[in-house]
Amino acid sequence: MEIPYVVVIILFCLGMYTIITKKNLIKIVIGVTIVESSLILLLMLVGYIPGGTAPILDKGYELVVDPIPQALALTTIVIGGSVTAVMLAMVIKVHKRYRTLNIDEIRKLRG
Amino acid sequence: MEAAVWVIILPLLTAFFLGISKLYFKRIFFPLVTGSAIIYLFLLILVITNSYPPKVYSIGDWDLLGINLMVDPFSALFLLMIAILFFPFIIFSMKYNKFMKHDYFIFAYLMIAGISGMVLTADLFNLYVFMEVSSLSSCALSLYKKTDRGIEGTFKYLIMSTVGSFFILLATILTYYLTGTLNMAEIPLAFEDIPFKIKSTLMTFFVFGYAVKVGLIPLHAWLPDAYEDSPIPYNVLSSGLVLKSAVYALIRVLYIMFGVDFLDESRLLNIVVFWGVITFIIAHCLAYQQSNLNRLLAYSTVAQIAYIMIGLFVGTEAGLIAGSFHILNHAIMKGTLFLVVGIFHYSIAAVEIKDIKGLGYKFPILSFTFVVASFAIVGLPPFNGFLSKWLIVEAALEAGFVYVAFFILVGTFLSLTYYLKVIVTLYTKNEQELEMEKAGLSLKLPTIFLGSLCIVFGIVPSLPLSLINKIPEFLLDNEDYIRILLGG
Repeated sequence: MEIPYVVVIILFCLGMYTIITKKNLIKIVIGVTIVESSLILLLMLVGYIPGGTAPILDKGYELVVDPIPQALALTTIVIGGSVTAVMLAMVIKVHKRYRTLNIDEIRKLRG
Repeated sequence: MEAAVWVIILPLLTAFFLGISKLYFKRIFFPLVTGSAIIYLFLLILVITNSYPPKVYSIGDWDLLGINLMVDPFSALFLLMIAILFFPFIIFSMKYNKFMKHDYFIFAYLMIAGISGMVLTADLFNLYVFMEVSSLSSCALSLYKKTDRGIEGTFKYLIMSTVGSFFILLATILTYYLTGTLNMAEIPLAFEDIPFKIKSTLMTFFVFGYAVKVGLIPLHAWLPDAYEDSPIPYNVLSSGLVLKSAVYALIRVLYIMFGVDFLDESRLLNIVVFWGVITFIIAHCLAYQQSNLNRLLAYSTVAQIAYIMIGLFVGTEAGLIAGSFHILNHAIMKGTLFLVVGIFHYSIAAVEIKDIKGLGYKFPILSFTFVVASFAIVGLPPFNGFLSKWLIVEAALEAGFVYVAFFILVGTFLSLTYYLKVIVTLYTKNEQELEMEKAGLSLKLPTIFLGSLCIVFGIVPSLPLSLINKIPEFLLDNEDYIRILLGG
């Protein structure tokens, strides 16, 4: 039971570390995506029942997994996708203006 | 169907039709924006008048445990703020923004949809989804001018607010894992069996996530940068509604899910009050150093939010009333200040404090409005800011936080220094001839309307207080809320 949760924790911390310490804008966006994936993984784990099948209410499906986290995971994926898209669009804008992706240099250019 | 549902649907529909009108029917733009704003105003008034006793609307064909909307006095206060701020916002930005009006209003309506959804929902995951809607469209609006500083500031805003959202989402998922439900009424019932330490950990995630969104120091860094080069009407809505909706969500989650006894036991109340004191002292000092008017007002917003947090987190009835009153007052006062600065920016492109030298004689009425609003925000009688600040001090004293009362007094002097700096510059004689673009009535009317509300709510506080007085009933004692939501 423990190993998947440990993976979630490692991914979350890794993503946060990337967001906080990296200087490159693309790397920051990648960090955001990693954190997002860890949360989607956590949602899947929360709903998982060993041996459960797809959540369909019909004969022959006795043991089903919890459908709510799956629905929530879908929503989270959509939100995450749009946030990443907006971020990447802004990275393109920043690169067009400053010709660099390094945070320190952008500050210098700003003067 | 019920009016409360349409409060969320109408802005979404308007945003959709605005998108269509941008492509095909450019002529229906103006009637669409103003018409739906008028209908929206009537809807809001209908919902606000029906807010006591609280009403539950269940969405879809499910019974009690489907997705619910709930209107109680605390959410009605936020709907009232939308009703007050949204119309001046529309009239002002029609004139102020000279290009790309379609996109601007699409995002504005999406933001309003997100905020009203956050305020009405009684479901933890919906709260997260609506918050993302409002903060993403808020980012789009703050990027609107597309200047260098705007892009940098918005990128910072986007990253920080996303990190905050991740912590909130993490806490939401863990809550579902522990309780098996996302309904705000069922969670506190299921919470009773859960150990103290696990609950405290959950609470920490929630508080950290929302503290980023609210902008408590040291998590405030995105706020002045995002405000610096964004359209002024957006600043009004952002400081009035977007930040406040995060405060709303924090209060709703903590007071309904965890209960005030648990907050007291885990010492969160003391921590947040102390955090608020540090925040407003530092924010006042930072505001004093600014030379840019937008940044000065942004740091002042950080300080005022700290006052609100102190009021709401002393954990008594008087504190909740004082904090809620200050939420309303701050939205009005800061709205007025931003709008006046916006008119200065529009007519003579004033950005720094030194640019507005001598404008007091050229814009007599507007400058007077600025003086009124800044005296109100500093906390001088007889304006509305004085009353709510006084109530906060009184509530803090009553709850035993003596040092808070002392530091609020110090903070008042600090804020007086930087607002006086602006006012003195405003009324210094300037011999230089200025090139002015004439600000029309559509810019001046909303400003003067909001400015006059500062005086009206200061002299007749019973007007909003009759709504606000009912708030603690359903926040301090979460049993009533749970009973109504479960259909008791």
